[in-house]
Amino acid sequence: MNPPETTSSKAPPSGAADKTTKEQTDMSTAGDRSPERAQATRVAAKPGAGTGKAGHGVKLKDLNAYYGNQHAIKNVTIDFPANEVTALIGPSGSGKSTVVRCINRMHEEIPGARAEGRIMLDDLDVYGPNVDVTAVRRLIGMVFQKPNPFPTMSIFDNVAAGLRLTGTKSKDLRNLVEHSLQAVGLWDEVKDRLNQPGIGLSGGQQQRLCIARTVAIEPEVILMDEPASALDPISTLKIEELIDELKERYTIVIVTHNMQQAARVANSTVFMLEGEVIEHDATNKIFTNPSDERTERYVTGKFG
Amino acid sequence: MSVAASTLPEISARRRVTDKVMRGTLVAGTLIALVPLVLILYFLIKRGVSAWTTSGFFTTDPTGSFFGNPGGIRSAILGSVVMVALASVIAIPIGIGVALYLTEYGRDGWFANLVRYFVDVMTGVPSIMFGLFIYIVLVKAHVGGSGFSAWKGSVALSLLMVPIVIRSAEVVLLLVPSSLREAALALGAPRWRVVARVVLPTAAPGLVTGSLLSVARGMGETAPLLFTATAAFALTFNLGALMNSLPVQIYTDIQSPRSEIIDRAWGAGLALVVIVLLLNVVARFIASRSRQA
Amino acid sequence: MHETRHKFHENLRALEVQALDGLDIVIQQLDRALESISYQDVELAGMVVADDDRIDGRYLEVHQGILSLLARQAPVATDLRIVAALLHVIRCVERMGDQCVNIAKLVPLSGYEAPKDKDILDAIERMGRLARSQVSQAKQAFADRNTELAHDLLRQDAEINRLNREIFRRAVEVGDNLDMREWAMFMILVARCLERIGDNTVDIAEQTVFVVTGLFREFADASTPSEAARPL
Repeated sequence: MNPPETTSSKAPPSGAADKTTKEQTDMSTAGDRSPERAQATRVAAKPGAGTGKAGHGVKLKDLNAYYGNQHAIKNVTIDFPANEVTALIGPSGSGKSTVVRCINRMHEEIPGARAEGRIMLDDLDVYGPNVDVTAVRRLIGMVFQKPNPFPTMSIFDNVAAGLRLTGTKSKDLRNLVEHSLQAVGLWDEVKDRLNQPGIGLSGGQQQRLCIARTVAIEPEVILMDEPASALDPISTLKIEELIDELKERYTIVIVTHNMQQAARVANSTVFMLEGEVIEHDATNKIFTNPSDERTERYVTGKFG
Repeated sequence: MSVAASTLPEISARRRVTDKVMRGTLVAGTLIALVPLVLILYFLIKRGVSAWTTSGFFTTDPTGSFFGNPGGIRSAILGSVVMVALASVIAIPIGIGVALYLTEYGRDGWFANLVRYFVDVMTGVPSIMFGLFIYIVLVKAHVGGSGFSAWKGSVALSLLMVPIVIRSAEVVLLLVPSSLREAALALGAPRWRVVARVVLPTAAPGLVTGSLLSVARGMGETAPLLFTATAAFALTFNLGALMNSLPVQIYTDIQSPRSEIIDRAWGAGLALVVIVLLLNVVARFIASRSRQA
Repeated sequence: MHETRHKFHENLRALEVQALDGLDIVIQQLDRALESISYQDVELAGMVVADDDRIDGRYLEVHQGILSLLARQAPVATDLRIVAALLHVIRCVERMGDQCVNIAKLVPLSGYEAPKDKDILDAIERMGRLARSQVSQAKQAFADRNTELAHDLLRQDAEINRLNREIFRRAVEVGDNLDMREWAMFMILVARCLERIGDNTVDIAEQTVFVVTGLFREFADASTPSEAARPL
């Protein structure tokens, strides 16, 4: 008489849960540095994805930046993949804003500041010997922490400002302004008052206006330096949704003090400390199982 | 329950007295300081208005005969306007230009700080020095073919106005938030466009205010004109010739033995004060409108 | 240096202690349940059944505490893994408590003064001791974050599984006495409850490894046999 095969009968969790534990032996993409893989496991892409233009990635190689004698950024090497959102997190003074300002060469506008190293936008070295700084900035746009629409200009003029300030002729300015405002979700709210001053809008609207202004010059990369930290929570969420949509067409780098925002919005996250990159990995990994002890202590709030 | 908890302590009598004494002293001091101003205005108005009502006060020139109707102050007013206008055309663009250099390009450099120091010094220089300077450099040297002339008066005035324009323009330009400059730079604008399309338009109301105040100052200066444009009486618009002006007119008239001419001086004084007052009011109006916007 | 988020981490630690202390109650229940089996003590069995409320209550408290922490504190990284693990752990505690109740409920059913087979009784006793030590070891492994101790649990569990199979075989061969056979059937059920308790301790061990390494790997089940699960 053969005894029945005893199943080591675990009290099973609900059926669905059982399946996921079997498929997902790694709760984090352990050691996987490629965020593309993380994206592949994501829920199916929104309709219309993939119809955007080809992406442009940014690579930093051995970047060093100084404020006078102070060595603020030390040998930073980061790869920002095309059409993805990469977040830079870290405590105050870690250098994340400086890194971002080096990418569009705003860093050197500060007296006494300089940067060395290579920053590649596709094949173009942004710090090349004969590169025109204004051309770089037309390709790499920037959105600032405090919304800064031009106070003497109307909403329409604000969006068109990028073109007018760079002396770019546009065949159909009105259309371009409309598209830019639509891209940031402002069109319906302002289409009847395009001639009113830009500063008459609410904080969240002003920030979206600034994003529209940046989008209107059709850059390839958009840098965001704490874009939502001056806004109320609802506006913040709207901006985050906007970032999610924008990444279809642009490569986005976002500096944020708010870790939850990085967790919500970014495909991959870079943790910086005292001017150096400590860890750079898929956001999922950084927030479920970071490799470095310092990253762990920062994201769990044990310091910073 | 403690007894003291139910009411707050009252102000002591001593404190009340001290309060009143302080307040009384300050009010008294203010009133005393205002007295000369009020007196000046009172005399000006009392004696000036009576001059204003003489016929032809604003429509004739002070070319009247020694014994007859002395004439009005038309050429003085128009002469002041013309010379100050020319001085403004010189001083305001230069002043704003220097201020732009100081805020946008020089910033904290050693040269910019040197310029700032000299501008500060110039605001303190007595206006007669400008007159003397132009007298020697332009008048005695007969630059431009003649000695005294109106345009040299304008130059002297502009020297006086430039530091004022620079000072006020620099303050206003610094008030333009650097975030606006950053935004424009980040869009890829060259610096000159940032200045022309963003900084200047934003600062415009303040720049206008500062300029108007410098114009008001220029209107009232006597000493530079004494050495350059001197006195003339006929109406002329020839900048190469002598030209009349309100301050000089007053200066000349006050020394006359005839009482009608002295009255005319009061009338001219009132006119000058009214013009300066109007300029100030307009300047403040523009400033307050831009603050509301 | 004073740690930031001090209160949050204290709350998390307290929650963990609350969950793990549930294992102490489980041990108590287990001891009593097995005693009631050995001595056919119906009263004791009744106490076990009644006391399960303590475990259920603790489950609800810990569960609520975890929800609150998730909603308000947004834990990440290790903290997040601890919170997720505690959900599993408290569920294991609750199930182990239920198994003890199942054992206790068998006491009145297995009859008064029924004839007992000594071998089976010995095996049950040994299983009971093993189960007890496994629960205790699971608690220590999790509290200390000791992955070696956790892996060792699998080895011990293999022994419990073996004993389970042995009891089954003996029960089948127990003889013709109807009463004895009936009693032996009930012992099979008791053995299964103990075996399930063992499995739950292995679950807790898996969670320990997850918290420490961030990787979740099933130690062994029907589809992924390990060396320890040898076929008969």
